[in-house]
Amino acid sequence: METLAEVGAQLLSWQLLLAAFIGVAWGVVGGALPGISPSISMALLLPFTYALEPTPAIVLLAAVYVGAEYGGSIPAILIRTPGTNAAAATVIDGYEMNLQGKAGLALGISLYSGVIGSLFGLLVLMLLSEPLAKVALAFTPPAYFGLGVLGLSIVASLSGESLLKGFMACLLGLMVATIGTDPVTGGNRFTFGYPDLLGGVAPILIMVGLFALTELFAQAAIPGEGNRVRSSPRIRLPDWPLARRLIPSQLIGCVLGSFEGVTPGGGGTVAAFISYNEARRWSRHKEEFGKGSPEGVAAPETANNVVAETALVPLLSFGVPGSNSAAVLMGGFLIHGLLPGPMLFQRSADVVYGLYAGLFAASLFQLAVAFVILPTCIWLVNRPKPYLTAFIYALVFSGVYSINHSLFDLGVVLIAGVVGLFMRLLRFPILPTVLGVVLGFMIESNYRRSLVLSGDSHMIFLTDPIALGLLIFSAIVVLGSLARHVYDRNRKPAGPAAAVKEG
Amino acid sequence: MNRRMQAVALSAAIMAIGLGPLAAQTYPVKTVTLVTHSSPGGGSDVFLRELAKYLAPELGVDVVVDNVSGGSGAKAMAHMAAQPADGSVFYATTPTFIYTSLLSKPEKTYKDLEPLVNVFEDPEVIYTAASSPVQTIEDAIKGAKEQRVSWGAANPNSLERQALEQLKKVAGVDVGIVSYEGGGDMMLNVLNGTLQIGVGEIQEIRSQLDSGEVRLVASLGDERLANYPDVPTAKESGYDVSVRKFRGLAGPKGLPADVIAIWEKAIPALLENPEYKKAYSEASLLPDFVPHAEYGPFIDTFAAETESYLKEAGITEQ
Repeated sequence: METLAEVGAQLLSWQLLLAAFIGVAWGVVGGALPGISPSISMALLLPFTYALEPTPAIVLLAAVYVGAEYGGSIPAILIRTPGTNAAAATVIDGYEMNLQGKAGLALGISLYSGVIGSLFGLLVLMLLSEPLAKVALAFTPPAYFGLGVLGLSIVASLSGESLLKGFMACLLGLMVATIGTDPVTGGNRFTFGYPDLLGGVAPILIMVGLFALTELFAQAAIPGEGNRVRSSPRIRLPDWPLARRLIPSQLIGCVLGSFEGVTPGGGGTVAAFISYNEARRWSRHKEEFGKGSPEGVAAPETANNVVAETALVPLLSFGVPGSNSAAVLMGGFLIHGLLPGPMLFQRSADVVYGLYAGLFAASLFQLAVAFVILPTCIWLVNRPKPYLTAFIYALVFSGVYSINHSLFDLGVVLIAGVVGLFMRLLRFPILPTVLGVVLGFMIESNYRRSLVLSGDSHMIFLTDPIALGLLIFSAIVVLGSLARHVYDRNRKPAGPAAAVKEG
Repeated sequence: MNRRMQAVALSAAIMAIGLGPLAAQTYPVKTVTLVTHSSPGGGSDVFLRELAKYLAPELGVDVVVDNVSGGSGAKAMAHMAAQPADGSVFYATTPTFIYTSLLSKPEKTYKDLEPLVNVFEDPEVIYTAASSPVQTIEDAIKGAKEQRVSWGAANPNSLERQALEQLKKVAGVDVGIVSYEGGGDMMLNVLNGTLQIGVGEIQEIRSQLDSGEVRLVASLGDERLANYPDVPTAKESGYDVSVRKFRGLAGPKGLPADVIAIWEKAIPALLENPEYKKAYSEASLLPDFVPHAEYGPFIDTFAAETESYLKEAGITEQ
């Protein structure tokens, strides 16, 4: 309670509120531009924080993170391009809703869920930091391996009509994830002499290629693709019956996001996908998932906004940044002579309370910012198709180029787009590929790290209780999906399987 | 910029500043760009941004920091090699750029750059969790002989890893050396007991050191650290392991002599600046000025040692 009182007092500072507002506005725009990740949006503002007092400086950066996690959903819904990694799961149902002319509602749901997620995450951050820090500490390499496998296990239910094709698509993603530096020896793998490949292939490049470019290519190549209904340029927040229907999926997003956020390396993307999958499992309207389900937008968007807050737990408790964005925030702390970690609360409690207050303000400011920029965004995507297509190409290419000022990255995105087009023609699902790219490195590096720890004994995965639990849970998920698949197939052998539609 | 313009600029500056500390030598360009491969907030980035604050008034120029990330420095080196050698662009050197040059064999390597001067040593230490029974390196080795333990290094290609491989060799024990994607992840694994000891920079563990959650076991430099005088060096403990994580600057090949002279004056002066001294001492950075004439050979020796280590460890082929 003392915490809440301190935080409340900080809310009266106009510098802090201004920093939170500017941060959110900048973050939403940065997040909405494909390629400009939350961490890049933050890094761009970093130099401007030098002149500020420590508290507004930290609030400014943290608010960018909050805004960017929300902003990523805007292009995911409107142009099938995840603006941030964590918005990839939002593409599935968000874009479907858009195609049905419900873009305003999809954006409203994502906004509403984002605000709820941010507020919930903040509450967790303020009140449960200590127990959650213990969770983070309990995660050893075998446990991270288990977490990665759990993330991958949902491939089984994202595969659409053919499990075999889903697994093949996933393998393709895992193969891409092996490019770069070997996590144990440090040698180069599959880089073919290109220095641009040394750091691996950034998942966002693959996502932008597979989602956005594939869609554009398909519209050009396949007759009848891309005929769309126009959306009214108004965002609609969900009404009460719909809001009530969204509660379970948001709850799932909140809980899973909290846990994923505190485990460094877990991150928003995995949280969003797992939440999507669980929301579908527990939904009363399973059949709508993949065809424009509002819950399919609410769950991942709640989860990734929770992560934007709970990812601060390892940063504030240990001084360990759990993601690129947290690393930039840590830079902000260091530049102002603050040292995140166990001593932060004792030495600079006022900054921490200020940060909480700023995050609270930032969560609410998302609404204001969204109501200003969203109508413009919807208006933009309602322009005649030739203009829109050219606009998306320009947006995607300039966004991708701006990450590293690299033509090589553009090549990677183009290749991913072409591969995605062929996958669509051959009816391969692309979501498993995306998951493979996102999780491959985490799974491999922690698997091999575990084996170094145990001296090449696989028993370590069974003796670590967290790893064992996660692996058993993954097995249940896979077997459950398999069983449902077989059941569906036997029941109606002629019809298409009632699994998720992969667009 | 030709000589006459320089002369004009020089006299103009003398007239403008009078007999200030730099009146005798005016820096030939107005803006100095400091390039790093590290992303904003990373080790070299923080180093450059702090340096920039004090450097700007010292040189009388504007100082900008430019992050050219990607390829663990391969991109930054290529970028640097294409810059004019007029003193307007410098690159923050750390062991990383040597590792990347040797391991990844990019088109432009450390050999295409000219080391300018060294500024700091970022001391590496061996540490363990406060609750761990390990008090000395001796304890760690003894423990490693009794049962399988693991030691942690922040990254697979790092000086930390090299230090641990050396220790493993001189102590003659078989331990797992686990590398991570950063010093923070590794520290969590030291804290939760997964790793017996870890090697890292003081900066990365400062908060835990202050709160008493981790304990220093040994420092890996040639001398004890001023901030932690009770912590013995590895050499004192009888294990001949020593590494020196340098932080300095390099420019494109062919730096003009007058530019070098200005830097050789400016850096030692900066290191004496009381405000800067306070900031870097708190971060446990050791002033480690190496003049231009010695810095090139120093980098070459470092590279040669690293190369033979990489070959011995089987990471690169003959």
